[in-house]
Order: sequence, then structure tokens, then C-alpha cells
Amino acid sequence: MPYLGSEDVVKELKKALCNPHVQADRLRYRNAIQRVIRHMTQGLDMSGVFMEIVKASATVDIVQKKLVYLYMCTYAPLKPDLALLAINTLCKDCSDPNPMVRGLALRSMCSLRMPGVQEYIQQPILNGLRDKASYVRRVAVLGCAKMYNLHGDSEVDGALVHELYSLLRDQDPIVVVNCLRSLEEILKHEGGVVINKPIAHHLLNRMSKLDQWGQAEVLTFLLRYQPRSEEELFDILNLLDSFLKSSSPGVVIGATKLFLILAKKFPHVQTDVLMRVKGPLLAACSSESRELCFVALCHVRQILHSLPGHFSSHYKKFFCSYWEPHYIKLQKVEVLCELVNDENVQQVLEELRGYCTDVSVDFAQAAIFAIGGIARTYTDQCVQILTELLGLRQEHITTVVVQTFRDLVWLCPQCTEAVCQALPGCEENIQDSEGKQALIWLLGVHGDRISNAPYVLEDFVENVKSETFPAVKMELLTALLRLFLSRPAECQDMLGRLLYYCIEEEKDMAVRDRGLFYYRLLLLGIDEVKRILCSPKSDPSLGLLEDQPERPVNSWASDFNTLAPVYGKARWATIFKHQGTEHCGPKLPHTASLATSGHLISEENKERVQELQDSEALMLVPSCQLTAEYFEKTWLSLEVAHQQVLPWQGEVHPDTLQMALQVVNIQTIAMSRVGAQPWKAYLGAQDGAGCLFLTELLLEPENSKLQISVKQSEKRTEILSSFISVLETVIGTIGDMKS
Amino acid sequence: MIGGLFIYNHKGEVLISRVYRDDIGRNAVDAFRVNVIHARQQVRSPVTNIARTSFFHVKRSNIWLAAVTKQNVNAAMVFEFLYKMCDVMAAYFGKISEENIKNNFVLIYELLDEILDFGYPQNSETGALKTFITQQGIKSQTKEEQSQITSQVTGQIGWRREGIKYRRNELFLDVLESVNLLMSPQGQVLSAHVSGRVVMKSYLSGMPECKFGMNDKIVIEKQGKGTADETSKSWKESVGGGKQSIAIDDCTFHQCVRLSKFDSERSISFIPPDGEFELMRYRTTKDIILPFRVIPLVREVGRTKLEVKVVIKSNFKPSLLAQKIEVRIPTPLNTSGVQVICMKGKAKYKASENAIVWKIKRMAGMKESQISAEIELLPTNDKKKWARPPISMNFEVPFAPSGLKVRYLKVFEPKLNYSDHDVIKWVRYIGRSGIYETRC
Repeated sequence: MPYLGSEDVVKELKKALCNPHVQADRLRYRNAIQRVIRHMTQGLDMSGVFMEIVKASATVDIVQKKLVYLYMCTYAPLKPDLALLAINTLCKDCSDPNPMVRGLALRSMCSLRMPGVQEYIQQPILNGLRDKASYVRRVAVLGCAKMYNLHGDSEVDGALVHELYSLLRDQDPIVVVNCLRSLEEILKHEGGVVINKPIAHHLLNRMSKLDQWGQAEVLTFLLRYQPRSEEELFDILNLLDSFLKSSSPGVVIGATKLFLILAKKFPHVQTDVLMRVKGPLLAACSSESRELCFVALCHVRQILHSLPGHFSSHYKKFFCSYWEPHYIKLQKVEVLCELVNDENVQQVLEELRGYCTDVSVDFAQAAIFAIGGIARTYTDQCVQILTELLGLRQEHITTVVVQTFRDLVWLCPQCTEAVCQALPGCEENIQDSEGKQALIWLLGVHGDRISNAPYVLEDFVENVKSETFPAVKMELLTALLRLFLSRPAECQDMLGRLLYYCIEEEKDMAVRDRGLFYYRLLLLGIDEVKRILCSPKSDPSLGLLEDQPERPVNSWASDFNTLAPVYGKARWATIFKHQGTEHCGPKLPHTASLATSGHLISEENKERVQELQDSEALMLVPSCQLTAEYFEKTWLSLEVAHQQVLPWQGEVHPDTLQMALQVVNIQTIAMSRVGAQPWKAYLGAQDGAGCLFLTELLLEPENSKLQISVKQSEKRTEILSSFISVLETVIGTIGDMKS
Repeated sequence: MIGGLFIYNHKGEVLISRVYRDDIGRNAVDAFRVNVIHARQQVRSPVTNIARTSFFHVKRSNIWLAAVTKQNVNAAMVFEFLYKMCDVMAAYFGKISEENIKNNFVLIYELLDEILDFGYPQNSETGALKTFITQQGIKSQTKEEQSQITSQVTGQIGWRREGIKYRRNELFLDVLESVNLLMSPQGQVLSAHVSGRVVMKSYLSGMPECKFGMNDKIVIEKQGKGTADETSKSWKESVGGGKQSIAIDDCTFHQCVRLSKFDSERSISFIPPDGEFELMRYRTTKDIILPFRVIPLVREVGRTKLEVKVVIKSNFKPSLLAQKIEVRIPTPLNTSGVQVICMKGKAKYKASENAIVWKIKRMAGMKESQISAEIELLPTNDKKKWARPPISMNFEVPFAPSGLKVRYLKVFEPKLNYSDHDVIKWVRYIGRSGIYETRC
């Protein structure tokens, strides 16, 4: 991101670096280089002084050398020809008597990301692998991976791989771990480094010599090893036992995963392991390092999914302190919700009730939802607490309580009576859409037991004109019709008014259609309406399903100690799906990810960026090639899935539009000439799953409106809406640029 | 593996940016700033995913440190690495502040170069790093120093270099504990634990072998079975009838401690790194000595007045002195005025923090002190009831609330001629408050 005025800075620094007086004075010279690095960090383009910096590399001052190499690693890809000039100095440094200089030079040389550098670094790396100083060997081993990364398509050098495998026996622990890392990257396409029995046993014996990073890494590599016999398996478990109690939580969690995976056929061993890590995990959960505490809590939740009683006796450890950060509190509430049992339910509920009045609205609501979750098992106590909360007459509390009630009544019909008694009066404290919907639903379905239900609904009908949320109006229609069936006398009049309003005055199409639908249904006669609308009022079988999901340890063991528990299962699935497609695709991940990462920095529409990221489910394939014939055929065979009108001023510049659409991988099939009236364009796109999006843009200049019609080869509404939001963003951006 | 490391100030300006892997672009720096630092709502999680890139951040005062990766990494490890990095930086230039980072940015780049290579953590022990980091590296190195590096990097023990010499062999042991409490208004302990650390500062010559002993329950039992040896006798004398031994829930050691020996004999033996390091970290939950009890009494007088009375009682030997005592009594948001009377120390109402802060410089054991305050409230339409945050407390006491005692620390150096008696040893206990809250 070049900033204004960076040219002046570059010019001035250039002058300073060339000045022989400065060059003679070490401190001043170094100072000038430091300024270059400082500007580089701040994002200024400093590639202009490359030549001068290369000259500065010929020095005995190690600090200066380090700075110069840092600079070169950053800008070498931009100035490959000039960077070659530095290679000479670097090669010389690679045979310096001082191991530190050798290591530094080799590391920097391998980090120069430019084409053609391989031929120069190959020999120094090979020398480095046999260097007597382990510091240099460490660098050289990772250098192999860097070299391979530079030209990933080339053949894997068998001799080099062999050499790396033999270095696994090096006496320096970091060299050993680096060898594993390096081999893993070089052999990526063949499934990574092979861990056979001798290597596995060698690594196991070296474990205690490694530092925590090495231990964690080796533990993940060992996951790959399949012990031959049961005996060997238990030997390994015994050897690794002490790592379950390591001082580093990362190693503890890593070791736990290894144990769970190795013992996947021995459920009692798995349970035993989880018992043993209870202490260390609890320690991490109450540690002062909040972020670690967060990660540990995520893993505790994962364990609780399979073993609900696992932490029950330690429930007090998960009580929230007032000053803890928000994310920890939310995790703790989730944990509390999962570990209730007959003994602690009273105390846990007591505690959760305290949180419900917390100043943080999010936290309070999370606590109420948690009580709702517990209510599926301990209904009476929870409903009582929730009812008491209604008495506080707080908007943010009431709305969540009512939503909880709605779900509860559906799952546990035995509490219906209590809920119906609690409801009257809470309509005064609900303002948001979700809460209103829940309340209206409850009044509609169980209105026969709530004496003032028709009057509450009548209030809503009175104010329907000023109601902003269409979803509330829809809910109101359904609820009123249901109530009409059980209490016709009180509801007939207002149902008529509501239907009239919805059909005659409502502007939202969905609401209007729903109104028309019910009107026509009523014309068929009351019996028919009853048959269709009086569905079961609850479904307790669902509740049973919710309560006892079968989740054996093995179902998540492979996700343990990855990002999956940290992000949560659903979110992780979307992220991971994309990473999967990126890896499968042949080496063009950059074009695909540009679509989103390109938007990241456009500050002016941050909001839209947010939307784009949320709708990550959509990923358009860049190489989609639709022929005009095929397009036409498909277009005619499909129904319009979505139609929308956007404001548009003046003429269209087809080139700009086409370019912009290209960036987000939407292909332009055909377009009218400039100035044609009406102007039309046909666009095509395809997502990773093979779903086609066909779009027609229609511009009628006199209306200054752009009409978009989208057809979809498969009915998938979520991705349709994300596709439309992408399209909107592009068209909106171009529209803004023009006006 | 870590793809890149960024350090920002509170405004989101980049102070340090180091990218290790090709898959992390320059726009990642901006993405984090826009989505996390400049986000209007509070931080939702220390791990953020933006466009399939994971950002792990920690905050130190108002500095953000973020590690970035596209891989599916071990979250705990990344955070541990960030903590380690903070420790290393702190060891070099003290507090992590914007000023310090700007002044030492060359050093930080040097450090980042050594502790991470291609995104993989390398050597991160401060002691061992000292050999590689040369802030005043104008001179080319002497032969001696060169051989030192070689021996250090080829030696078996990664955390200590050879050939260390001191004229005075000295060691300092600090038992640092933080006691955490959550107490109900009725004075019932909801949860309490002590997390402690034994920090050792060693200035010992050669490659000394150390053996550390404490009053851990299991050790005592083990020794009780055998013939009572001298050490346990002398220990009994020193404790003198007090609480005999403590139950440690779990403990973890610095990498230098031989774990196999600990498991078989419960003896803690090790070759210490030079300088300061954390020997052990532990946690206890049983028989904790709670140094203070807070007894709150809140009375609402009508809608516009609150009467608060808080009594604190110190619960330890009268000969000991607690220091830096601070009690923080939260007040409602609509407070208009506060009158405070306290018997000891100074109390002040801080409107900006919505709290009465009561500070006492020193307080001996088995004493009691009291504060009473009248809080006047503005009448509000807000129906929201005041949530009554807990009363929190800070203090420092010169003993270990867990009851842990150091029994001995013996030093053996067979090659050099100094013995255990020649080493000067210092032991210090400091108990601090962690989260020490009493609900009211």
C-alpha cells in the first residue's frame, strides 16, 4: 500500500545510504538501515533503495547483516535481478568460520522468494546438512523445505530425502524435529513423512529431550504410526504417560489426542486417559492465561459431549468470575449447562440465575438459554426460575425467556400449564422480532389455556401497520388463525381485519401471499382448515433425541487438538470445506481466494465484507466455461429463482462491468451494445458443488432501474442469497463509482 | 506452524510484522485490524477466522500480538508460543509497551528470526538465546565465544551452556502464589484455589545437580514408611506442629526436571538453567489459608440511598504483615454522592470506575477493620435492577496460602570444588490475590 510522500522518504534515505560519510560511520549507517526497516514495517514501499541496501550487506557488523537480510527477504521477489547481486555475499558468508554467520546467511538465502535462486542455494544447503554446528544444521534442514516450496512442481530429490531421513538420528533435538517438519512438506503429495517402527521408537526415546514445541510436533507425527501388536501399543502408552501431565497444556492436549487415537479399540483405556487429564485440563481452565483457558474450555466441552458426567463433581470450577473476559464466561456457561446432574443441579441453577441479571446483555441471554437447555431434563425447577425472571420486566430478559418457553413447550409438553400461567403480561416488555414471534406463536398454539390471548393478539393486529418485521406479521397470521379455531367468537372480527390488511395494504409479498393463502383456505370451510392447521402441539420424541445424542469418543478424537473444537463444529465445517477444495484444486488457490481477500481491505464497505465472510458457503469456480448455446438451453428450461431491482443511473460501461464480474468469478456470456435500449446482459457462474447460476441484467434507462433475474440449476436458497449478495456488491460498487 | 506474526498498538498501527510463509499476504495485517482491533463490539474470541485465515491474538496492556496461520494448528500451542514470546521480550527490555517495542524493534526482529524459522518454533529459552542475539555486535566474535556457541548448540542440555563461572555461588527461591476465591454473600466458599509457581534464580558455577524438597503429602508419606531420615526430622522441627503436609492437585515442572525420577521417587532433581526460570507450577484446592475474609452488608434505604458496610478480617499469624491491601466496592451507575468512613487506611469514591476504593498500606494478622459508606443515588426511570458486582480485593502476604514449604534445596557439583554448604540460598514466600471476590 504505497502511502503519499513515500517517494520523498525513499529519496532521502537513498541519499543517506550513498553518503560516504555515513558509510564510514558504522552507527549512522546502521541507523539509516534501521529507518528503512521501520518504514517497511509501516507499509511503505521501500524497494527503491534495494541497490544501496545490497551494498550494505558486505560488512562484518552482524546486526547490520541481519537487518540487510531481513530487507532482502521482503523485497527479493520484486527485484529478482538485483537480488542476484547479493547472492555472492551470501554464498561467501555460508563458509564463514563463525557458525552464527553461516546459519544466518543460509537461512536468509533460503528465504529469498524469487525464481532461479535454487541453483545457488542447493550446494550451500547440502554443505549445511553436514555442518558440524547444529545451529547450521537446523537451518539447513528447514532450508530443504523452503527450497522445495519455491519450485513445488519439480521432482522430489531422492538423495536429499534420504539424507533427511538419516538426520532424524541427529543428536540435536531441534534438528530432529526440523527434519520431520521438512520431510512432511517435501513429501506432501505422497502423504507426508513415513513413520515406521524404528523411527517411531527412536522418536519415543528422544521425547524427553525435546522442548515443548518439539514434543507437541512429534506427538502429532506419531498419530500416523500404527503399532503392530497390542503389546507394543501399551508399551508406547506407558512411555508417553508422563506427557499427560506436562507443564505445557499444548503437550497435554496433544498427548491426550494421541492416546485417544491409539486406543480407539479400547474404550476403557480412553475413559481412563480422560480421567487422567482431568487435573491438567482443570488447571488450564483456571489458569491466568485467558486465551489458554479459553482453548482448554473448548476441549472440555468436547469431552463433555461424550461423557456428560465427566466434570460434574468439579462444577464449581466453571463458575464465572465477574472480571473474566466475555468469551470465557460464555464458554463456562455452556460447560455448566452440559455437566448438570441430580446432585449439582440446584447449585448450578442458582449460579446461572445470578448471571441472568448481568450487565452484559449477551451474557445474560446466554445464561437464560442455558437454563432453557437444562430445563429439558429438570423442567420444573427451570420453569420456575424463568418465570421469576419475567418478573424483572426487563426487555432483553423477557424476550429470551419467551423464546426459551416456546422451544420448551414443544419439547416437554408437561410444562405447558406452567408456561401458560407465566405468559400474561410479558407482551409489554417485548420489542424485538424474535421475542414477538415466540410470544405470538405461543399465544396461537396454546391460546385456549391463556385467558387474555385474544386481547394480546388484538393489540398486535391494531398495530400491524407500524410493525417493521415481516416475519412477525406472518407469525401473527398463523397464530390468529389457530386461535380462531379454538376461540372463534373472540377472534373472528380481528381475523377479518388482519386478512383485509394483509391482502389489500401490505407491501411485503410474502406476507401478502400468506394472507391470500389463508383466505382461500378459509373459503374451503372450517373443517378443512382444522384438518390442515391443527398439527400436533408438541413432539416429545424430539426431546428424547435432543437429550441423548450418541457421540462416542472416536467420533471426535481426530478433531481433538485442532481448530475444530475452538471454532465449534458448524463453523469449522464451513471453513474446512473450503480449505479442502483449495487443496484439491490444481494450484490455483490464489485466484479463488482473491474474491474474498481482495474485498478485505476495501474499507469503504466494511459492512459488505462482513456479509461476504458470513456467507462463506458460496464459492464460485473460476474456470467455469459456459457456451452460449448451453446457456440458452438451460436458461429456457429453468424457473426464475429470484428477481430484484436495483437503482442505476445513466449508461453502462460493459468493460468495467465485465472486469468487475470476472474478479468474483462471474462470467459474462452475452451483452447488448453500449447505448442500446433496453440494455441487456447475460451472466453465468458455477460454484464448487456444480450448481449453476444464470443471471439476466435488464436496464431500462427511463426508469433508472436495473432488474436482476437469477435462475439456479439446483434449489439451494442459502447459496442463492449469498450469490445475490455478491452480485449486489459488485453492481453497487460500480454504481457508486459512476455517480 | 505459524504463517506470520504481527504486533499492533492500541490504534491498530503495525509496529512489527514478520511473515514466514507465502500463503500469508500483506492484506492479512489489515484484515485483523479492521475486523478485530477496530471492531465496535467486544472481543468475541481470542481466535478469529477471517477469510479462512486464523488469527490468534493476546493483549499485553494495550499492545496486540497476533499470530496468523492458514493451517489447522494446535491452538494451545500457538498461545503458549505467544506467551513465550512475551516472556522472552520482557526478559530483554522489560514491560511490553508501545514505547519499548518501538525502541527495540531491531532486537525484536532479531528474536523473531531466531525463535521461529519458516513458521516453526525453534529455540526459545532466554538463556540459550542470549548467545545468538547481538545488539552490540559491531566486533566480530572472538574465538572463545565462537567455540561457546558450538558447544552450546551441540551439547545435550539445551537450556544451559557450559563454562559458567561465578565467584559467589548463590541461589534464590521464590514461592509465588496467587490465591483465588469466590465467596457467597453468606460467607460460604464457592470455589477457591491457589495457583503457585516456584521461581528459581541460580547463579551457580559449572553444571550443578540440584535436588529440591517440599512438604508435599505423598513425599512425606513415602518417607514416613522408611526409616525416618534426617531431612524429615529437621523439617518437622522447623514446621513445629503446624499443618504437616499439603496435597498438591497437580504440578508441572520445567523441562530440566527429570520426570522419571519424580514419578518413581517423588524427588525433584535437575540441572538448572542459568539465571531466572520457573522450576515448577502447581495448584492446590484443599486446606487453603484464606488470608482475608470480607463480610459485606448492603442495605437499600428507599430508592435513593444505599448503606454499605464492609468488614475485613485478616486470618494469619499476628506477627506477619499483609501489604498493599485494596478493597474495591462497586457502586451503582446512578450514584450521585458517597460518604465514606473507614477506621484504617484511605478510602475514596472513584466515579470513573464506579467503585469505592479502600486502600490499606499494612495490616497485621488476626486484625479486623471496617468501612461504612452511604451512597446517594439519582432517581432513574431505568427499571433495571442494579446487578451488584462482587467486592474484589487485592493484597500481598509474606507466606504461601497453600501451606507449601520448601524443605531443602541441595546443590552438588562434582567437577568443581564447591559443596552444598558454600552456596548461599535465599527463600522467599509471596502470596498475592488472584481473583478474590466476595459477592454481596
